[in-house]
Amino acid sequence: MKELLKKLTDLDGLAGYEDEVREFIENEIKDHVDEMFTDPMGNLYAFKKGAKRREKKLLVSAHMDEVGFLVHSITEDGMLKLSQVGGIDPRVLVGRRMKAGHKKVNGIISIKAIHLTTPEERKVAPQLASLYVDIGSSSKKQTEEYVRVGDPVYFNSDFIEFGDNRIKAKAIDDRLGCAMMIEIIKGDIEYDTWFGFSVQEEIGIRGARVLGNRVNPDISLVLEGTTAADLPNVAVHAQACAQGKGGVISLIDGKTVYDREIREPILKKADEEGIKWQYKTAGTGANDNGAIHIAKDGCMAFGLSAPLRYIHSAANVLYWPDAEEMLKMAKLFIKESGAL
Amino acid sequence: MTFQEKLKKLVNAYGVSGDEFRVAEIAAEILKPYVDKVEIDKLGNVVGYKSCGKPNAKKLMLDAHLDQIGFLVTDITKEGFLRFMAMGVDPRMLLGSELNVIPKNGEPIYGVVCSTPPHLQKPGDNKKSVPIDQMLLDVGMPYEMVIEKIEVGDYIAFANDALDLLGDCISSKSMDDRACFMTIIHALELLGDTEIDCDLIIVGSTKEEVGGHGAMARAYIDKPDYAIAIDVGHAKTADSTPMDRTQDFGGGPIIGFGANSIPKFARRAVEVARAKEIPYQIEAIPAASGTNAWAIQIVEDGVSTLVISLPLRYMHSPVEMLTLSDVYNVGKLLCEFIKSFDGQL
Repeated sequence: MKELLKKLTDLDGLAGYEDEVREFIENEIKDHVDEMFTDPMGNLYAFKKGAKRREKKLLVSAHMDEVGFLVHSITEDGMLKLSQVGGIDPRVLVGRRMKAGHKKVNGIISIKAIHLTTPEERKVAPQLASLYVDIGSSSKKQTEEYVRVGDPVYFNSDFIEFGDNRIKAKAIDDRLGCAMMIEIIKGDIEYDTWFGFSVQEEIGIRGARVLGNRVNPDISLVLEGTTAADLPNVAVHAQACAQGKGGVISLIDGKTVYDREIREPILKKADEEGIKWQYKTAGTGANDNGAIHIAKDGCMAFGLSAPLRYIHSAANVLYWPDAEEMLKMAKLFIKESGAL
Repeated sequence: MTFQEKLKKLVNAYGVSGDEFRVAEIAAEILKPYVDKVEIDKLGNVVGYKSCGKPNAKKLMLDAHLDQIGFLVTDITKEGFLRFMAMGVDPRMLLGSELNVIPKNGEPIYGVVCSTPPHLQKPGDNKKSVPIDQMLLDVGMPYEMVIEKIEVGDYIAFANDALDLLGDCISSKSMDDRACFMTIIHALELLGDTEIDCDLIIVGSTKEEVGGHGAMARAYIDKPDYAIAIDVGHAKTADSTPMDRTQDFGGGPIIGFGANSIPKFARRAVEVARAKEIPYQIEAIPAASGTNAWAIQIVEDGVSTLVISLPLRYMHSPVEMLTLSDVYNVGKLLCEFIKSFDGQL
């Protein structure tokens, strides 16, 4: 699964531009599913037969898109001005390496040298409107040979293993969920299951609405990446979740109250099997469940996430054992929910 | 190795001020074929000598510093995160940046500077920059594991290898000032076996970013008559203003005029550039040049100094950017100057 995660995070897929990721996933799973199709938005659906039929239809999903930028204009001196796609703190952008346009030319974001600024100026963080990507071009005309207005711009950030079982990459949110589903699809499953790879999560959970409408499940399991703020300068009660404690179980977030009827029996079973998990102790954020659980006649929702540090930046950080615990929990869910 | 490969090998190496021995080895290896003799001194300075073989020849020193900006570990928290202090870095480019801790022994240790994700911020937080003393470096290890590998006082530098941009533009963490060391290499390459009338002393110096101590020691030991400090100069960026007095990116070597880059010396450089049709730019340097020329000029009996700068965008960032045409033109100017120099200004 680690190799899959590496391949998936090396790919680029801004909300609305998920094609590269979807094509990769289609190729990976096509020989392991019984039915596969896409919709006008670009969501990818896969149905896999299990050993048994289930009474309640299950949809397992993860989103393919990532945060990034669109080129909104090109300056006369050839610089790219950006609009953001998804929530990104402008303070993590200065000094970053980027790739721009469909040709994926390298570029950088920086600000003028420290020698040319005052201490007062250095107290104010530059906002996106004043930042730009420099690809080494000297004119608008030269830039337009490589990048056009409307083209996506991505973080240029390699998959790196470091420290104690840590992985750094861009877009671990939510390519990890995608990698996990591919892993599950390639194996045998106990009960029939629908899998959905969604689009446009980062701009307001758009793809998942159609995913929910089309599959119309009774139970929704969303595999996500969520903020772990387990840092020394953050009070424990504000950390949301922590690395090393396994998959993160949602109680409530910005869009969903999660169903106890399904959560309790699964967590009980997980405890019996010694699978590590933790609750998410912050109610902020949301995931694809926000749309799926209210699609059509509604369904029950279960949220399972990996605790990720620095999501929505070029350097998402994952603790690999958390991903392993999360995978165990996802497999357990697919099995146990069939008997509910 | 091609010229570009040598440049990248040099800028990808780690050597924050005071910890230059590793990068000095690489610089010495690159310099070796072009000079009679190369040494690395007790400070980590690389010095190479190329004699013209003539009696009583004057000595011309060409200096570029090998140290890069960076950080020092000041504390290890009980959760295993590092606190650090910086040398010459704008705090606004640190959140979310990738750094390497350089332990005394062993391989670089990768880490990410912690940032708070948008979901947990209060409105307005993202408009304020975070002071460096409040930042943390996440090396992804628990305390017990960290203290086996990292100590307070270890150096930290921006991570990442050089990145090719459009045309002949390249971005890297330490173009300042290793790209200028490569301008000297290019000059020596062009010079080849040409007969010259002065002895050359090539210095890859240490500790420029903290005061020019390495170059000062070399000037004391080697007693040059003349010295050219080759360093980076601010090139125009899209966010700079006329008040920033930047130079043109791609505009060729910047020849300094002022007390620290003496007019007699600078005029000679301009004459050479004009005669050989090398593009150049002029910079007024009213007092301190911010280069090793400042330190070298007043060593012992005094030295005639000149500052030649390489246009660089985004100096002191992890993505400093140059164009190779400027590197080659600086090298060409140095070569032509040497060829024309008889030891008298």
